[in-house]
Amino acid sequence: MLPKFDILTEEQIDKIHKNSLKILQEIGVEFSYDPVIEILKSHGQRVEGHRVYFDPDFVENMVEKAPAKFTLHARNPEHNLVCGGEDIIYMPGYGAPFVYDADGGKRDATMADYDNFVKLAGASKNMHMTGGTVVEPTDVADEIRHLKMAYSHITNSDKCFMGSSSGYEFAKDSIEMTALLHGGLDVIKEKPALICLINSVTPLKYDDRMLGGLMAYAEAGQPMVIASLVMAGSTGPATMAGALSLQNAEVLAGITLTQCINPGTPVVYGSTSAVTDMSTGSLSIGNPENALFTSASAQFARFYGVPCRGGGGLTDAKTVDAQAGYESMMLLFATSTTGVNFVLHTAGILQYYMAMSYEKFMVDDEIAGMVLRYLKGFDCDSDEKMAYDVIEKVGPGGHFLTQKHTRKNFKTEFFRPALSDRQSFDGWSKDSLDTNQRAKLKWQEVLANYTAPELDSAVKEKIEAFIEKRSKELLK
Amino acid sequence: MNPIFEEIKDAIVDGDEDLAVELAEKVVAEKIDPVQAVQFGFIKGIEEVGKSWTNGEAFLPDVMMAADAMKAGMDVLEEVLAAGEGEGAYEDKGKIVLGTVEGDIHDIGKNIVGALLTSAGFKVYDIGIDQKAEDFVAKADEVGAKIIAASSLLTTTMKSQKVLVEYLDAQNLRDKYKVIIGGGPTSAKWGEEIGADGWAETADEAVELCKQLLN
Repeated sequence: MLPKFDILTEEQIDKIHKNSLKILQEIGVEFSYDPVIEILKSHGQRVEGHRVYFDPDFVENMVEKAPAKFTLHARNPEHNLVCGGEDIIYMPGYGAPFVYDADGGKRDATMADYDNFVKLAGASKNMHMTGGTVVEPTDVADEIRHLKMAYSHITNSDKCFMGSSSGYEFAKDSIEMTALLHGGLDVIKEKPALICLINSVTPLKYDDRMLGGLMAYAEAGQPMVIASLVMAGSTGPATMAGALSLQNAEVLAGITLTQCINPGTPVVYGSTSAVTDMSTGSLSIGNPENALFTSASAQFARFYGVPCRGGGGLTDAKTVDAQAGYESMMLLFATSTTGVNFVLHTAGILQYYMAMSYEKFMVDDEIAGMVLRYLKGFDCDSDEKMAYDVIEKVGPGGHFLTQKHTRKNFKTEFFRPALSDRQSFDGWSKDSLDTNQRAKLKWQEVLANYTAPELDSAVKEKIEAFIEKRSKELLK
Repeated sequence: MNPIFEEIKDAIVDGDEDLAVELAEKVVAEKIDPVQAVQFGFIKGIEEVGKSWTNGEAFLPDVMMAADAMKAGMDVLEEVLAAGEGEGAYEDKGKIVLGTVEGDIHDIGKNIVGALLTSAGFKVYDIGIDQKAEDFVAKADEVGAKIIAASSLLTTTMKSQKVLVEYLDAQNLRDKYKVIIGGGPTSAKWGEEIGADGWAETADEAVELCKQLLN
């Protein structure tokens, strides 16, 4: 693995850290959920109404209790993942309500799309887990969406996945279903198997829904990403240092709370901060500022000794065009080379998280493969890899194409594109397909050939019975 | 023409809320014609900002701060205008009640829409975030608004937009108001589904929509 580079000096880290602590101490954070207010009060924090003013030493001490890394368990242990340190985890985009088609069409995302993206992630060697809320399945009732989504991850793949954080009750349902899959709540408490996404409401707020989710996961000892999305210029200051200080304050407040509820609960420092387009007010994510926020967040997570979530294959483009490609590559490259561990939104996102695209998923999957290869760097560990013998054997003026050494090594040393075209002009011009068109053929082929890994029928029945019971209760 | 009108116009263009209030207070204290102050001062200023916006020369902080300054200054003049002081009468282009629906506390998109509507000459009553259907309707009734504009950023709170339309139906008030909706996860299709009178994806489009609806 390549060493991850820093983008902030120690002095800059120190200034921003102190700025964040001052925000927490003197401006405070609003938590709308009463049980959380009680917890923070009982830990001696100053509370006025729903606003909590954090003591700086307390924040530092609580953040220290969070582990530097943890293992997330899959039903197939081959897919267990380490989150933290040098490791990097890729997964599909999260939360988009729309699907954009290859021909430029826009439609509401459905449960069928949901299953498809889970399968594409299941099939991909570059996606380490199948993610969560891979689209918003708008054809399923709100009350039972979380059940259907978890079922899709559980049955369509044996990789790790994410659960609902939409309030205490839904979060508990996701945790229960994961417990059924792994053999009980005690089992997953010992071996965490479900992770969720908790977002602040910038600036400086956490709402009921997210705090309920946070409580449920912390109580069950399941990991959480605590993330802040500062839109510099609108929900945060227009300066990079100011916006980062604000984000950092929010994430520290969230992490502190998790450690109050259950010390040692695995948490991931999350960032999706980016900028506001000052002509429209829209979020804009395919830009160098987002790359800088992402890289700085990775460095802050290292500073606090917790894993980091951020970045991805991010773009503001509405279709799979050059903009989609260059923005996504910039973001995923910066994300991966500066040490983010957990990359929500690696594949599929168009238009600042508003849409998922099958074609974009395949493009990002290709980018992910390229970046993963880059991260492996050079292998100089053996004489075989140093290749002196074969250089000597061929000598001046020969070629290496017919050497055993070549045949043995090229497949592991070279990245092999699944989507990029490397043909001659004549070869390419037989069909003259652009990336978007090739990607469409590719995902259709992957889905047609995908077989979901088998799930023990007794376990499956238990999970289905749970869904049926809860659906009846929730749809009343 | 009284030189104070030019000063008011500049205060609006600069988005200087304090100065706009100060000048409006001066208009009241010195018994300067308030209708003229509105026409040659406030409206001139906001029109200039609106034009720069359309040309792509002004950005959101410019427009939003100008709208805030306009609102603050106009609030000061409200009493004398209502009393019918001054030559002629000042009339806005239409009254709009704006808010974020129940369960949703996101307000930036809504605020942008409010500012652009203000800069286009509408009188906007922003009732804030997490507002129930009855709150929208009560305000619209109070101020005599023709349009109710409801914002939602979450897929889980979009249904509150539907509740608003249903509430109007149930109260037999549906024909009295035009309901428009917007926000990230919403769509033209969603608008049609719930029986809204219009949907817009951007704040600019919301202004056009209101112009059409009040025509």
